Formats: sequence, C-alpha cells, structure tokens
Amino acid sequence: MAEQAIKLGGKRKSIFIDKVKKLLPEGGNLNLCLTCGACSSGCPATGLENMDPRKFLRMAALGLDEELTSTPWIWMCTMCYRCVYACPMKIDIPALVYAARASWPREKRPKGLVGSCDMALRNMSRSAMGTPPEDFAFVVGDVLEEYREAQPEFKEMKAPIDKKGAHFFLNQNSREPVTEPDEMVPLWKILHLVGADWTYGSKGWAAENYCMFLADDDSWKKIIETSIDAAKELGCKVFLNTE
Amino acid sequence: MESVEGEAGNFTVTVRERPRYVDMDKCIACGICAERCPRKVKDEYNQGLAQRKAIYLQYAQAVPLKYVIDSDNCIYFKKKGRCRACEKYCPAGAIDFTQREKIHKIKVGSVVLSTGFKSFNPSGYDIYGYDSLPNVITSMEFERILSSSGPFHGHLQRPSDNEPPQKIAWLQCIGSRDLHAGCHEYCSSVCCMYAIKEAIIAKEHAGNDLDTAIFFMDMRTPGKGFDRYYDRAGKEAGVRFIRSRVHSIERAGGPGSDDLKIIYVNKDGRRIEEVFNLVVLSTGIEISEEMRKLAQDLGIELDIHGFAKTSSFTPVATSRPGIFACGAFAGPKDIPQSVMESSAASSACSVLLADSRNTLTQEKTYPPEDPIIYEEPRIGVFVCHCGINIGGVVDVPAVRDYAETLPNVVYVADNMFTCSQDTQGLIRDAVKKNRLNRVVVAACTPRTHEPLFQETIRDGGLNPYLFEFANIRDQDAWVHQKEPEKATEKAKDMVRMSVTKAALLEPIEPLLLENRHEALIIGGGAAGMTAALDLADQGFKTFIVEQNQKLGGHAKHVKRTWKGEDGRAFLSDLIGRVQAHKQIEVLLDAEISHVSGFIGNFKTTVMTGSAKREIEHGIIILAVGAEPLKPDEYLYGQNERVMKWHELEELFEKEPERLEQTEAIAFIQCVGSREPERPYCSKFCCTSSLQQSIDFKTRKPDLNVYILYRDIRAYGQREQLYKKARELGIIFIRYSLDEKPLVERTLIDGKDKLKITVRDQILGIPVELRVDYLNLATAIIPKGDEKLAKILKVPLNEDGFFLEAHMKLRPVDFATDGIFVCGLAHYPKPLEESIVQAKAAAARAASVLIKDSVEVEPTISVVDQGKCIGCGLCEISCPFGAIHLVRVTGQGYRAENISALCKGCGICAAACPQKAIDMKHFRDRQILAMIEAGGSR
Repeated sequence: MAEQAIKLGGKRKSIFIDKVKKLLPEGGNLNLCLTCGACSSGCPATGLENMDPRKFLRMAALGLDEELTSTPWIWMCTMCYRCVYACPMKIDIPALVYAARASWPREKRPKGLVGSCDMALRNMSRSAMGTPPEDFAFVVGDVLEEYREAQPEFKEMKAPIDKKGAHFFLNQNSREPVTEPDEMVPLWKILHLVGADWTYGSKGWAAENYCMFLADDDSWKKIIETSIDAAKELGCKVFLNTE
Repeated sequence: MESVEGEAGNFTVTVRERPRYVDMDKCIACGICAERCPRKVKDEYNQGLAQRKAIYLQYAQAVPLKYVIDSDNCIYFKKKGRCRACEKYCPAGAIDFTQREKIHKIKVGSVVLSTGFKSFNPSGYDIYGYDSLPNVITSMEFERILSSSGPFHGHLQRPSDNEPPQKIAWLQCIGSRDLHAGCHEYCSSVCCMYAIKEAIIAKEHAGNDLDTAIFFMDMRTPGKGFDRYYDRAGKEAGVRFIRSRVHSIERAGGPGSDDLKIIYVNKDGRRIEEVFNLVVLSTGIEISEEMRKLAQDLGIELDIHGFAKTSSFTPVATSRPGIFACGAFAGPKDIPQSVMESSAASSACSVLLADSRNTLTQEKTYPPEDPIIYEEPRIGVFVCHCGINIGGVVDVPAVRDYAETLPNVVYVADNMFTCSQDTQGLIRDAVKKNRLNRVVVAACTPRTHEPLFQETIRDGGLNPYLFEFANIRDQDAWVHQKEPEKATEKAKDMVRMSVTKAALLEPIEPLLLENRHEALIIGGGAAGMTAALDLADQGFKTFIVEQNQKLGGHAKHVKRTWKGEDGRAFLSDLIGRVQAHKQIEVLLDAEISHVSGFIGNFKTTVMTGSAKREIEHGIIILAVGAEPLKPDEYLYGQNERVMKWHELEELFEKEPERLEQTEAIAFIQCVGSREPERPYCSKFCCTSSLQQSIDFKTRKPDLNVYILYRDIRAYGQREQLYKKARELGIIFIRYSLDEKPLVERTLIDGKDKLKITVRDQILGIPVELRVDYLNLATAIIPKGDEKLAKILKVPLNEDGFFLEAHMKLRPVDFATDGIFVCGLAHYPKPLEESIVQAKAAAARAASVLIKDSVEVEPTISVVDQGKCIGCGLCEISCPFGAIHLVRVTGQGYRAENISALCKGCGICAAACPQKAIDMKHFRDRQILAMIEAGGSR
C-alpha cells in the first residue's frame, strides 16, 4: 500500500463503494462501520497480503479504489461470512470483496478458479471436473449396484436420474462421483430410509459453482439456470442443494 | 399497579398486593424460618449463582426487612397443606398462610414511574457462548460475585470450578450498539463506567497480579469525574484497555479446560490470541416486556426503543399529563442522572399539586420532657442480637449481665432485633417504668439506626441527646467473626465506654430557625429560569440575578435539541413565562456582592450598576453556567475558516449561499478537553458535531464531511445520531492525543482552503483533508467562579466547576445547607440534562422553602468566651463559615458560633489553642471519660 498521504476533500467524487452500495439491499450497511475490528478478529484471511476485512472496508470508505481493486487479498477471502456474522452493524464485506473481484479482467483472475469455471461450462453436467452426464450416470449406477448386493438391507435402495415428477431434485458435488464415489452413498441411504422421492438430473447435477467464486456473474447464472431448468423439466417440487 | 383512572390531580390507582404469607408487624427477620425451610430455590438476586429458600429475604438490605414466602415454590402451596416448618419454628408467630391477594384503590394527584430497567440477556447470542461456556458471565453476575453478600461471600472465584481467576476480560457493548435481532441500536450509557469499576474492584479483591482487560469500541466516560477515573484505571490500577471488538469466544485447550480463548486485532491490525480464565459480558439496559405492557395499559407512549417518550424540555413528563417518569425507564442513564431525574419528577409533582400541599399531613407531637429526671444518671442498656449478626459471634446474654454490674445502670435487656417495632415499645415502657434518664443501645451502627432510637426515647419523654450507641456489630461482631470470646470481651469494653459517656450526657435544646420563603437564583439561563418557574409556580417568590442585560444564557445557540426539537422556540417561551410570572423578579445586569446568613435566612447584596439592593431569602440556587474555550491551536483566531461550536452553523444560517459554495468541512473533537491540563470530557460536543454535520450533509448531500475524534461519545439514544451520520457518508477519523491533527492554510486552484493532516489509525497512513471550513468542538470551561464560590463559601472542584455534596446521593446540593447547583456551572451537559438538574434543584429548594421553621442538628460548638483570646484560628479553620470573631466591648475580639451554619465537625475545637471551644454531645470531658473507661478493663 502507498505510504504517501491519502488526499481527501474538495469536490465529492463517486467512488467504488458508492457503486457497490447501490447493488445491495440497505446498501449492505457498508457505510455503518464502527472500525471495531470484530471482522478482522474472526477472519481467517486477516494478515495475508498485509490486509484484513476492516482495512479493506476502510480503504473503500476513504476512496482508495485503485488499491481496493488491485489487492490479491480479495482472492484469499473464502466468502465464509464469519465477518458479517459477528459484525455489530451486519456489514456485507464479502459483497464488497465480490465486487472488487468482478472489477478484475477475467484473464487476470486466479487460474484455478477460471479453469474450474470454464470446465463447468463445457457440458450440461456443469461439473467443475468436466464430467459428462453419461459418466455420472455410469458411476451412480455402478455404485448403487455394488451396495445393493453387498448390503441386503439396502437392496431396494434407488439412485434415480431424471425421474419425472420426483419430489426432490438433488444435486451433487462432482468431486465425489469422480474421486470418492462411496461418499455419495450415506445420503442415498438416508433418503431411502425416510422414503424420500428424489432424483438426480443428468443435466445440471453438479452442485459446485466456481464461477460464483470467480465473480463471473453470467457464467454463475448459466450454471444455476441449467440446474433449475432441469428440475423444472422433471416437475420436481423442491430443489435440494447439498453444497 | 394495574390501572390509573381519572386525570392529573385526581387519579384513582388500582394496586394489586400479592400475599406475603408473613405478618409484617410480627416478623423480626431473625432468619430461623429460612434456616428451617427445606425447599431450595435459585436465588434471582444472586443471578442464579446461589440458592435461597422458599421463605426468604430478597436481599440483606431489603426494606422493610421482613421475610416473604414464594408460593410458587413453597411445599405448603405445592402439596396442599404439607411442611409448615416455618410456621412451627417462627418465634414470633408471624407466618400466616391465610393471607389473600388484596386490591387497593388509592387516590392520588400524580404518579411517578421509576420502574428501572432489565439487563440484556445474552442467552442465544451464540458467538459469545454464554449458554455453553460456564465462565462466560454477565456483568450483573460479576457484580454479585464481587459482593460480600454474593454467592462467594466476596471472594473472587469463577463459576466452573470456584478457582480464583488470574485473567479476566470484559467485552463491551453486548446487546447494545448492535443491529442483530434482539439487540439494541442505542448505547446503554453505563457499561463503560461499570466495567472499569468492576476491573478496579476485582484487582482490589485479588491483588495487583490479577490481569484485567477491557475490550471496547469507544470508551464512553463523559460524566463528571469519569475521565479521571478512566485515566487512573489505566495508569495506576493497570487495567488494560483494548480498542477492539472480539469476534467470538471459544473454549481454550483440550477437554476439561474451562479457560476461554479470545482472538482480537491490536491497533496494528495484528491478530492476537489470548486465554482468559473468566470473561464478563458488559450487557446493556433494556425495557422489559412487562413494563411495555404496563405503559400500554396506562396510556403512556414509548419511543422506538421502549423507553418512556419524553421531550427534552419537559424531560420527566410522559405523554399522559400527571404521570411522570424518571430513571432508566426514561432512557439509559447512570445513578447521578437517575437521582437528579427523581428529584425533577418530584418537582413536577409539587408544581402540579401545589394547591393541595400539606392537606394530608399530620404533625408529630412528643410528650413534654420531664426536667426532674436529669438529676442523677439512671441508665438502661439494651443489647441486640441482630438475628445471628451479633448473637452468632458475641455472647449477648453475657454482655447484658456485664452491663448490669456497671455504675449507674439500673435496667438491662437483650433483644433479638432492638430496631423492630415491638422493641421500640419495650424501650419506651422501660424508660417510664424504671425512670430511666439515659439509654444505651449496643447494636449495629449509629450510622443507620441512631435517629430511630433517639426518636424512641423522645417518645418516652427523654431528650434525644440522652442516647448513646455502642457499635458492637459493625466494629466488633463483623470484624472478629473467628474470635468469638475476644469479640465478647470487646463488646463489654464498648458497652462500658458508652455507659461511662452516657452518664455525662446532657440534654440539648433543639435548634429551631425561622425560615423565609423566597428563593434567589443566580444565573438567568435555561437552568436558572427553569428552576425559577418550578418554584414560582408553587407560590414561592423568586429572584433571578443575571449578570447580562438579557435572559437566556447559552441556550440561544441550541437551534435544535438532539431529538430535533426547536430550541429557540423553547427558550423564547421560557423567557416569556419568566417575565410574565407575578412571583418572579428578574434583576438584569446584576451581580452578587455579598451574602450572609444561612439556610432559611440568607441576606444578599445585589449590585445593579451602582444601585445596591438587599434581598432576604431562604435558599440559593447557583445556575451561573459555563462557556466554550477559545482555543489557541488549529489556527483558531488566525484564520477565519476555523470556527468553534455554533459559529459555523450560525454563519451558514446568516449566509446560506456559503454552504452552497462549500465542498468540504471538517470537525475536530476534544479541543482542549481530555488533555493533561483539562482532563475531563465536555460531554455534549460529540452530540453537537453529529447534529451539525447531519444537518449540513442533509442540506447538501454532495458535501464531504470529516469528523476527527478520539472516542465518539454519543451516549444513550444519541447513538442514533452517530448511525445516521455514518449512513449519510460522513467520514470519521480517529486521532490520538500524541498525534493531533495538523491544520495549515493552503491555496487550491487559487482558492483559500485549509489542509488538515491526520493519521488514519486503521490503515496507519496519513490522510490530507482539503476543506473549506474547520469547526472545533472546544472544551466547556467554567467562567472563573472563584469569587462567587468564596462569597457563598461553597467549593469548586479541581477543574473549577462547583462541587456538589455527593455525586450520587446529593447531586444538586452543596455541603452547605440551603445552597443548590444546576446547569453548566456544575459540569458540561446538554440542555435536557440542565433542565432536569434545574428541576431537581427546585425540588430540593422547595423542601426548605415550604417550612416555616427548620430544625437543625444542635450538636454544635460552644465557645467559652472567658477562655477565648480572640486569635481567630477557629474562624480560619472552619470550612462552613460557622464561627467568627465579634468585637466584645472592653475585651477586643472573641469567637462566636453561628449555630445555623455549624455542622459540628469539631475542627474549631481542635484548632483552639486555649481549649475554649467544646462540641455539644462530644465534649472533651465526655470523650476523655470514654477513653479512660476503655482502658480500665
């Protein structure tokens, strides 16, 4: 951060924080900061890049827009909302972080996030792993078969895909079918035991959404839309988000 | 209270009295019932940290000191008719299970609501872990832990394992200044001070090794003497003050550990992890649901936070005429302010009910004193068990028997509670039957009970000064609990000393002084005029002496109160009412040149120009105000763009186009306040700058406004202003005393501007503000009242403000009777607090003025003019101006006591080199005989 003095005063200019405020309900309370430090005491990213949530918001309040939109710290925020949870003024600092992310050119944003988002856009699974619908269907069928045989008490268990008229539309983080397929089963068992009427979708089954973390609004929306459309098409009543 | 029907001056109040199941006339509060009661219940008074019985005293100092049965828990009521242990063991036969609820209809003219507050309950606020972590407690719980009557008898322990904590943290603003559901937007006003007090007392209990840390957002200590206390807590007591709000509290270490981990950011923004043994949540003030409902039933409007809605100009009047509110029910406030409000409410009632004054009073009469019985001492000695307070340590019957062997003692008795009503009857009877002419009570302490026993023997036909107290509880039983035999011996010594003195006691004639009914008020500002109206409306002739050529004082600068009311309209109405009032005489351009006399009988010389006027009056109210400091820093007086207080506001009012042309404005707070040479907070400057900045910013939304501050002290509901200001985008920049802002003149694009450099504490980098105007919130300083203080013989504090007799108990009185203080002369305060204080002073003054005569304590000094050499040492030493030299024909000067002013302190007697001065009731020969008796076991 620049050590030279911050120059304020004179005629009032519109600054970054003003724009963000307009986007948020109650302006995200962004003006209400008491500089108490509760956010920074609880933030896992405090101290990284010599930054913390309180400093970040303070910079925004004082109009240090260039520093605000260039610090790599914004990509270290996990969007966990611990800061908002304890803030006596309930200030939506993550929304400000998000807006700062969105101000970066897409190609300059962290490669991992960009790659994962792009991968999800490749096929209708919307999986950050790039898993196509047919691979997902195969893994689900295979694992189900295995458990029905190995555990007779679950021989009636189902894991339907694209079941029309199911009550619940369930999504699934794609890391599990790809790397830890057994991890899907406990939830199936619960649903089976309570007699839930549910289904996966072959489209939009992947629950993770790296485009959101990337602050790529259009792609974020596209991913959500795929899932919602799939649920609607099947006539499901409830969207169960497991992520 | 169930309902109030009727109207101001003529209400019928319905009160539901729940049964106590204990006959108050019979109960002697011995405590045997509670000892025997088998049912244990959580003790609410000790915040659930201890247990009580189903029959109990709410607390040790409860008035009246009578037990009560909690029928929700009593076995008799739960299992119809069982148990009855209390009834069986009560020595006084006081248990009465037949009592039923009673409905009272009471006719009154006015009602005062002083229902207090409820402490915020942090249960459910998960980040602080109050429900799951045993060593996270509320400040109320900590108060009980510190108390000698609390769950741990005053030993500092923590709840989980009763171990003494080594490190305690306080977390401020719990439930206050917080937008979370169930919390409150306002500041609770009192928590900063009580947290400091608790930390200091905890250190006193545990020794200086105890580590105490207070985590806060703004330190709000704006009251009189508060900032000094805060300074001392840090510098002398070593309390750590950490400006950081803690995110959450977690259990520290592994399972089994009850310690608590706190993570906070220090001033450099670094995350620090610290483990504490105990965490105290400084919970705020709120209005209970029951109180909200009662207010609704009574037709009293509440504000958005649930407090009684009042106007700044009539601060104790609720929305329903004739019903008044005081204390925390009318907004968060501390004890001094609550006590002042209570007096103000009583003044409001007095004004309303002036016509019916004394119509229901009965005068107490005493039997005539029989002069024959003074001839030879016949002493009665009553030794008190005080329940188990004395009886549990001292062998009371042995002390009684010993007393019987002493010379002049003709009657002895011991009583369970000598102060109980039935014992008073026994004492009176014993006096008559045994022709006693001296009475000694060996009991608790004269501090609380001497007046009661004096009254009792007066009823028995004795002069009240023929009574002597032996303090065998506070000074014996309580301090020697572990050595009962020695305590018994000491009690005997004390009784012997008292009996010896009692034999030498003399009757003292009461001092009755004629009383005048006029009031003199010095100062014609808002405070002085408010006090004058309250007195004049009750029919007392009132003089206002104002040094300026018109009434009004500083209130004329208050365009709006912080609640938004029109200050000038109020002031002109006030002036109009004062000028039109037949009972008020205003002397303008006038100055006090001399005051003589005393309570009820003052004589004051007022100079109006060269004209001299003598006024006789019964009381004096000092309301001389204060003034803003003209600073010699920040270019004030050198650059016309630098102003103070209301100057900028008034400039914009006169020339509105100036505001239009303005791009940026800065305020600097604490100019001359909270500095080494003036270590007090001027209390209302934060409010004033917030109000002005909100006004400017609302009128010109693209204006840049900066407030440079040290702590924003928007105490109480003023917090709303602070929030509003932030909402509007006003920027607050904190500075520290060792790095004050630098103000320079600068030219920008050929325009004259100001450049202010200040370091932003959050980012740690300097900020340069280019502004058109700078407004300084300068200290409120006394007017230099040394001369007036000398004329009135009343003290000033170290800052030059008038010093009241007691900050909490007598906040508008001086130690000198009949003189009262209000307004800024007492301490900087906002208009509504000045009005409260003025009404309080009027109430205190009226309590003197209504009497035709006053009875003053006659235990005063007497001068033996035969021994006096007229050296005048007594006159110099007397703090009350109660002794002076008078010319005695043929003898030069001799000292003379002015009985109405004398407080009986004895300084003159100690100062007199000739031993010519003696104190009535404490004569040398009485004291010396006592001392001798003390050494002659």
